[in-house]
Amino acid sequence: MTSVRFAGISKTFAEVEALRPTNLDIPSGEFLTLLGPSGSGKTTLLNICAGYLTPTAGRLVVGDRDITNLPARTRNMGMVFQNYALFPHMSVFGNVSYGLKVRRVSRPEIERRVNNALAMVQLEGFANRAIAQLSGGQQQRVALARAMVIEPDILLMDEPLGALDRALRKDVQLQIRRLHLANPRTTIYVTHDQEEALVMSDRIAVMRAGSIVQAGSGRDLYERPVDAFVACFLGESNLISGRVASVGGGKAVLNAEGLDVSITGRAAPGLAANAPAFALIRPEAVRLIKGGIPASVIERVYLGEITAVRLRLPNSQELWCRRFAAEVPDIEKHEIGWDETAVSILPDINPGKRSVLPC
Amino acid sequence: MAGRVVLSAFSALVGAFLLLPILAVVPAAFNGSSFIRLPPDNWSVRWWGAFFADQTWRRSLVTSLQVATLAAALSVVLGTAAALGIERLGGWVRQLALALFVGPVIVPVIVLAVALYSLARSVGLVGTTTMLAIAHTMLALPYVALNVGVSLAALDPRLRLAATGLGASPWHAFRTVTLPLIMPGVIGGAVFAFVTSFDEVVLSVFLAGPQAKTLPVRIWEEIRVEYTPIVAVAATIMIGLAVAAVAASRVIQRRDA
Repeated sequence: MTSVRFAGISKTFAEVEALRPTNLDIPSGEFLTLLGPSGSGKTTLLNICAGYLTPTAGRLVVGDRDITNLPARTRNMGMVFQNYALFPHMSVFGNVSYGLKVRRVSRPEIERRVNNALAMVQLEGFANRAIAQLSGGQQQRVALARAMVIEPDILLMDEPLGALDRALRKDVQLQIRRLHLANPRTTIYVTHDQEEALVMSDRIAVMRAGSIVQAGSGRDLYERPVDAFVACFLGESNLISGRVASVGGGKAVLNAEGLDVSITGRAAPGLAANAPAFALIRPEAVRLIKGGIPASVIERVYLGEITAVRLRLPNSQELWCRRFAAEVPDIEKHEIGWDETAVSILPDINPGKRSVLPC
Repeated sequence: MAGRVVLSAFSALVGAFLLLPILAVVPAAFNGSSFIRLPPDNWSVRWWGAFFADQTWRRSLVTSLQVATLAAALSVVLGTAAALGIERLGGWVRQLALALFVGPVIVPVIVLAVALYSLARSVGLVGTTTMLAIAHTMLALPYVALNVGVSLAALDPRLRLAATGLGASPWHAFRTVTLPLIMPGVIGGAVFAFVTSFDEVVLSVFLAGPQAKTLPVRIWEEIRVEYTPIVAVAATIMIGLAVAAVAASRVIQRRDA
């Protein structure tokens, strides 16, 4: 049993609350991603799990064991650091075998396990290379092998792909995903890259200002975000501001500012009648229909199979629409609409301060 | 172009000003006559033979090597430990600790000498190799602590976290990760400590005795009585050892890097 439970875990640095009291349960074998902007507390949470930081309050339970006060070296967790933190004075073999030597594994067994680990990350034959001779992608894989070879109960990764170029990053994302599916191990992964989170995770916890805002599958978060922050952090969002006309039965109606129509959609928690709110309409949910809301084209971006069109509504609010290129006629005036099921009505958590949103 | 010539000439003059007095001693050691004279009247190794034939000179060279080795070893252990400790401190405590460690360099050596002399007398350590080594350690410690501190500051703190995360005890992580990576600083500090002790005079004059007399003290005593090229021989040996120590440390540091 290697489930992880954060129970009321918080961390304060010199009177700055880096992590507010946080509860999170990670079932055994789950790949959980902590997703958030820098300073949101995701690395703090990871370091508390690793034992590099002591929480100010709360308990950390792994399986049925309270390990809050256990030193890092006895926790049997594998950590992959941002920029890898490989030992520069050791060879690839020296790095990967480090945790096994500490555990006094026999020499033949060390050789066998190191070779397996290097094969797993496709670095056979690299054992005697110096770290400085490796490319960034190779170093990243050595770091992964070093963390995995000790058969950790929990694998921790702190933005491990940040230093790689985009093409390589996508490759390694899928590789890590495949390794995880072949041998599911409880994993906590920290990133600020939403695409990375979606590709790899069983579940994503979105963090902001030291708190988890929402945790769920990528699909949950994308389709049913609890607020505009989560909506903006995962995927692209059109937010139309207005006031709640009515709420009930899981639905809400928004009177959009300056528009003659009201927008109906799924109601997020925390909505109250007449309170400021947003209607979230994903760009792919915006359809070009006859008899809809008139919208004029500001710009058109050709993206291969997709064309993205930036439109201006009568209330001068802007909106992105993404359709297959063939569906977009080359005209300057469109009429648009959307399915009610594709719309969410979200509370405005910082009324009047739209700049705090990442979109 | 002319500017460059002037600059080169000036640099050469400054170099000569710094080096010539030291280098002048070397030919003086190979003078066949009984007086220090430049250039030598006739070339000879006569005074080298005299140096090594004289038991008191030989003993003081051995004493110097013993004291310097002991002082270097002591200050490497204490200075490295101090640097590791200081690195973990924060804010004004760190500043205070740093100031304390640099203290022996700032306090006039003569003051330190008088204080150490009275201390050594009260515990009966005047004229011993041990006391000389302890006194020299006080002077050498700051150099080691600062040198190692610079190496530590350049060390990625996550390497230590990575080692402990992989199961290493703090001591094992220090031995296998931290120490190998700060080794250039430790070696540099050790050489500095050795050389500092090897040419130290003021403390040594106070603390030396018939049983433990370092080479600089012996030179000092000799020169007040007689002014023979044997002093130049002793000086040349000191220069040679200091240059060799620094050169050796450079070679080791380059191999490590």
